[in-house]
Formats: sequence, C-alpha cells, structure tokens
Amino acid sequence: MNAFRAGLGLQAALLRRSPGDLHILATVPLYTLILLAMTDAPHRPGLAPDAIIAPTLMALWSTALFTAGDLIDRDRYNGTLEPTVAAPAGLAQVVAGRISAVTATGLLAFAEAWAVGRCFGVHLTVRHPLPLVLGILATSLTTACTAAVIAALLVLTRGGRPYQNSLSFPLYLLSGIVVPIGELPHWLHPVSRLVYLSWSADLLRSAFRAGPPRDLPVQLLALGLLAAAGLACAGVLLRRVLARVRVLGTLGHA
Amino acid sequence: MNAVEVLGLRRHFPSSSRGGRGTPRTALDGIDLTVGIGEVHALLGPNGAGKTTLCKILATVLVPDAGTARVLGHDVVTELAAVRPLIGCVFGGDRGLYGRLSARRNLLYWGALYGVPGRELRGRAAGLLERFGLTGHADERVETFSRGMKQRLHLARGLMHDPRVLLLDEPTTGMDPVSARDFRTLIGELRGEGRSVLLTTHDMAEAETVCDRATLIDGGRILHTATPRQLGALLSRHERIEATGVPARLADALRARPDVTSVHDGADGTTTLIEVTDREALAPVLRLLIDAGVTELATARPGLEEVYLRLIGDRGMEVVR
Repeated sequence: MNAFRAGLGLQAALLRRSPGDLHILATVPLYTLILLAMTDAPHRPGLAPDAIIAPTLMALWSTALFTAGDLIDRDRYNGTLEPTVAAPAGLAQVVAGRISAVTATGLLAFAEAWAVGRCFGVHLTVRHPLPLVLGILATSLTTACTAAVIAALLVLTRGGRPYQNSLSFPLYLLSGIVVPIGELPHWLHPVSRLVYLSWSADLLRSAFRAGPPRDLPVQLLALGLLAAAGLACAGVLLRRVLARVRVLGTLGHA
Repeated sequence: MNAVEVLGLRRHFPSSSRGGRGTPRTALDGIDLTVGIGEVHALLGPNGAGKTTLCKILATVLVPDAGTARVLGHDVVTELAAVRPLIGCVFGGDRGLYGRLSARRNLLYWGALYGVPGRELRGRAAGLLERFGLTGHADERVETFSRGMKQRLHLARGLMHDPRVLLLDEPTTGMDPVSARDFRTLIGELRGEGRSVLLTTHDMAEAETVCDRATLIDGGRILHTATPRQLGALLSRHERIEATGVPARLADALRARPDVTSVHDGADGTTTLIEVTDREALAPVLRLLIDAGVTELATARPGLEEVYLRLIGDRGMEVVR
C-alpha cells in the first residue's frame, strides 16, 4: 500500500509540475464543440449525452495511452527505472499508483465537456445516478488496467510511439464512442465489444436516457472482466519484461 | 559473514552490432571479491572494466550469467526481497532523479519506496539535506541543480533508508574539490557507523584516502586486491626518493651505485625518482644529494595512481570493451 501511495503521490506531483502532460485536457473543449455541432445537440437533445460522453472517453483513453502508457518507458529514459527496480517496493504497485493518478486526472475531462455543453445551451439531466457513478468507477478502473498493459508493452517495444498514435482514432471509431457501433460493418461488432470503451459508452449514456437502464449488469460484468483481463495481462507482462531486461541488461538504456 | 561476497561472477553482453551477430562482450570474467563488514572498498579500473556491471548485479538490477554474489549472506539473484532493503545504490550522474520535482520531494518518494514510515520520512529527508548542504535548495527543482548538487542528492537518496551496505558508482564525478573533500569525510563517518561501502572511482587520491582496500579491475578480471599501501609496494619493494634539480652527473653516479635500483625522470619533468634497494640505502643516497646542493627532497612509496597506470597501462582515451 505504501508503494501504491508513493506512486500516486509522485505522479500527482509530476503532473502538477508538468501540465504539458495533460495537454489532452486542452483538446476536450474543442472536441466537445465539434461533436455538439455535428450532432446539432441543442435541437436533438437525445444525442447530447453522446456528444458530452464521447470527448470524455476520448480524453480518458488518450491519457491512458500517452501519459500513463509512457511512464515506465519515460522512467527508463530518465534513469529512474533502475533505482525503482532496486527498491524493495514492487514496481507493479508503484505503477498502479501512478496510473491511478493519471486516470483520476483524466476524469476532469468529464467536467470540462459538461461545462462546455452548458455554455452552449446543452443541459444534461442525470436520470439514473447509479449507472453514472458505477460507469465512472468501472471505466476508470478498466482504463487504469489497460494503461498498465500499454506501459509494460512499451518497455518491450522501444520506440513504440507509432503504435500509440495508431491506437487513438481507429479505436474511437471501433468502440462506438464517436459513431454508434450499429453503424459499423456487422462483422466488426464482436471486435468492438472487446474494446472496453464500447461498454463504458453504453453504460454512461444509459444514465442520461429516459426509461430504465438496460443491460446494466452485463455492462458492468463486461467492464469487470476486461479490467481483470487487463490486470492479469499487465501483471504477467510486467514480470516478464522485468525479468527480460534484467537478463539483457537493458533496464537502464535510454 | 561478509558484507559482499562475490564468487566466480561472470557476465557478458550480446554484441551491440546489428542483429547481435558480433562477438559478445565480456564485462565480468569470473571475478572473486569480498568486502568486509564496516570496510570501505574501492573498485578501480578504466572505462569498460566491469565496475558498473558488478554494482548493478549487486544492486539486483542485472542478472549474472554464472557465479554467485551475496550481500550480508543473501543471494542477489534468488533473495531479492532480503537483499534490496540492505543496500543503498548510488548510480550517480545527471539521470536517476525526477528533475521536475524538488530535492525534498525526490527524497520523500525514494524513502517511501524503501518502506520508511511516513512519520519519519520528512525528518530523515531534512536531516540528509542538511548533511549534504542542500537545505537551502531543498524545495528547488532538481533540474536546476549543478552536477555536483545532483551527485550529493544521489548520495542522500542512497542513505534515506539507512542501508547497511552502500554501492557508490563514481559518487564524486562532477563534484568540486571542496565537496569531494567533504565526501571523503562522509565516507569516514559511514565507516564509523559500521556501514560497508563498495566504491567505484577513477579518483586515485580518493581511493587512497578513504579506502581500507582497493581492487584493480580490467577487462572483467581482477588484477589485484590489497590495501592502497600494499598495492604501492607491489610496484616498488624499495624506498623511493623524489628530488628536484638533480645534476645530470650526479644522476649518472647514482645509477652506478649497487644500492640504487633505478633513476628516472618524474612525470612533471623536473623531479627525479630514485629507487634504492632498502631502507639502509636511503641515508647515504640522501647525503650525496644534499652534498650536491639538492634540497627539495621527499621519500615515498608509489601512489595508487602510479600503480594503476603501471598495472593497467596508459591507454589514453581508448575504451577497451
């Protein structure tokens, strides 16, 4: 727990000192405006939640991909990975704490998008608070677990920036947060459902829709399973990556 | 039990050429080394000799190919959880710290990673910042620090969890002479506290001043381990006189004496180094020099720097790997 707290505190301090790492938050108002304009949200209130939730999830995924995903590799570049590994605290716990701080900060995007919507006359009404709260928690957890997988993978594939870039917009489309999954080719639907963002989008949207939320347990279960899979995968990857770089002697390579 | 015990340690690195097809580079070639409890031990050698590789293996961040390494009886490959709290690693250099954070914040983080209780963290960090003369800069970003200040912060970090064994990899690189002198005092204090220190350095004066024993390492092999004085004796079993302004005729006369083993010019070009067979031979040779008007005289054994240069050779800028 100490290591988790230490990682959380470290990342919070780093983010305070490096606001550039949160540049994604600066893009949220713009994306919100674009999506509000595309959906003509003031006149089609049914689509307003989609236009607010989409930039939120995009920002969460981007922070996971670029900020949280980078942190082990960046530590290696800075020469701080070696002393971290040499310490008794588990690297996995430290990384979990750091990713949690990044993910929590990424949630600010929700408030941003909501505020931009209000500025342009879009008023969202939370009809079902429970799915909203559970959706935010489950999405945050799954984002953090997925970010851990990316972080471990990027240590293996040095110079993974092109892979990171290719995992942004294609994934937004695939997950149905920009275009509904129903509009995608039928054969892509199962693939879309492997992306946790698709379940998050459905869950969060249902909190703003009239009528009882449908499929809440299924959505939560899917998110839980994807989070567990991500966590297990990250744990195995991190152990293997550490063992590999200790053998190869590349832990301190910049 | 020793603080550090290394037996038959081997480590090679794959060739860094494209595809790794070249000859693997041997960093450690079956070395044996012990560092006693409370001992300050210097590891001396040129770049690429294997010093840092050994430190990294002891610090558990690198796995050896063969052999064993133990820290206070615990194996560094199989007993990570036992070894890590016992050692403080100072890899030094410009990297290894969070530059955007303050010195104090860095120390608090590293202390937490070593399980220092929360209530003690701040006190310990403040104490170490004071000890290393960084109190006035405690809340400044580390990226604004000079190399020497970073080096001191590295040392403070290595001591945050009060380790029993310290691995210092070139800890005084970038320090000004005053800081380097303070560092030597610190090493003396650490020895006084019963800590064991393995120190890699290029600074012969440092090794000579602070170390109980020194090991010369080159090409992954240990050349000699002894006290700095014993290492000096390896080169010259005889006493030596350093004299300035020795007339050429007198130098020739000295060369002809049976109790003088060698007469040659010193590195600075103005001194003459005269080695005599034994202590008894000192007095007559000194008398001859004084009678000839040579008054700048000193008797000494070879320093560690000379030992280093003789045993390892003067390679200029070449890095042998």
